[in-house]
Amino acid sequence: MSAIVEEIRSAYGAVGITLDHPATYGTYYRLLCAGCGRIVGNVGDKLLPGMAAALVDQQFELYAAGLVGCACGHQQEQTRALDAGRWQAARERYGASG
Amino acid sequence: MSETGASEMSVIDDAEQRGRTDLWPFWRRLYAQGDPLPRLTCTVSRPSYRFDEKEPLPEEYKGLLLRMLRHEGERAGNKSFLGLMASCLDLAETLFPTAEAKLLKAEYLAEELKHGIMFHRLAVGLDRSFALCDVPYAHYAFHLPRETWADDAMFHFFVDLNGAFHSRDWRESSYVPLQKMAATVERDEVGHSEMGYHFLQQICAEARGRALAQHLLTKWYAAALDMFGRSDSPNVPKFIHWGLKSVGNAEIRQAYKAYVDRKIEALGLDVPDERQNRRFL
Repeated sequence: MSAIVEEIRSAYGAVGITLDHPATYGTYYRLLCAGCGRIVGNVGDKLLPGMAAALVDQQFELYAAGLVGCACGHQQEQTRALDAGRWQAARERYGASG
Repeated sequence: MSETGASEMSVIDDAEQRGRTDLWPFWRRLYAQGDPLPRLTCTVSRPSYRFDEKEPLPEEYKGLLLRMLRHEGERAGNKSFLGLMASCLDLAETLFPTAEAKLLKAEYLAEELKHGIMFHRLAVGLDRSFALCDVPYAHYAFHLPRETWADDAMFHFFVDLNGAFHSRDWRESSYVPLQKMAATVERDEVGHSEMGYHFLQQICAEARGRALAQHLLTKWYAAALDMFGRSDSPNVPKFIHWGLKSVGNAEIRQAYKAYVDRKIEALGLDVPDERQNRRFL
């Protein structure tokens, strides 16, 4: 397992997304919702060092507002647990209900 | 082309004709108005080389050509290309917003696999050992996470357009087999980019979608500009000398930037700062 893949796994783990086994021929990984197991996207293993954490952090607002993430709402719950203030601000900014 | 080769291509042409709809292929409307991409004119003095298949190639020329084709990647014998296509299938199956969008992605995949055959033939003609050579996509743009249909749309709009710009330049390539297929690949890649743009137009039609797209632009715009490489790349003068490229990385990046900036603005989005999040200037 490469250091970059471990970075990706760790970054996505924080928002409730798990990295599946490598898909076809090993370069790409499915991203699965840690709450329900559904596929929520994919990622490749040639991101630059530090990039995965930065990308996930940049998307915090999108997860919080439900613009990105699983329909089951798991990433919304995870981001709320991580930073309730940032979560609330993001939902107000993006017009999320609730 | 041999009789068998011509027959194979007519079968592919026929299959493509039958796949046409009001939308697909997306390149049709653009090319009906003329060449959508700017010609990249070489401004330095250089010899006029021209090499065809089976002709002996200078060692440096062959090395540069192989390097370029490794970077391009769309070969049937490149497992990493097939892996990338499989990742597109995964997204089409799981994130598709409409049945129409899903079918368009199927047409896209079919066309990319056609390129896989075309570049396979080119690889075999150039160096048989290259035909089954796995070359993982090295640039991070091919590895960025795609977690929404908007991500996928941006991938196509930006990344396929990068391929289109390079193919536009190959129309003047000194390597005849590449020059011959360049117009087809360019046209198809423009179409793939337009498919992504079509999805972005749909996404940006409502406020939350536009906000999502604006946010994701910060990720994709920087990667798109980075894909052209460093402006001071030491190999570029060699590519230009041998007629494998017409202009440097900075020039083609600027032409690309002008093209995408107009289209981003037409979506009602703000064009990000071109230096934000950049890794390769």
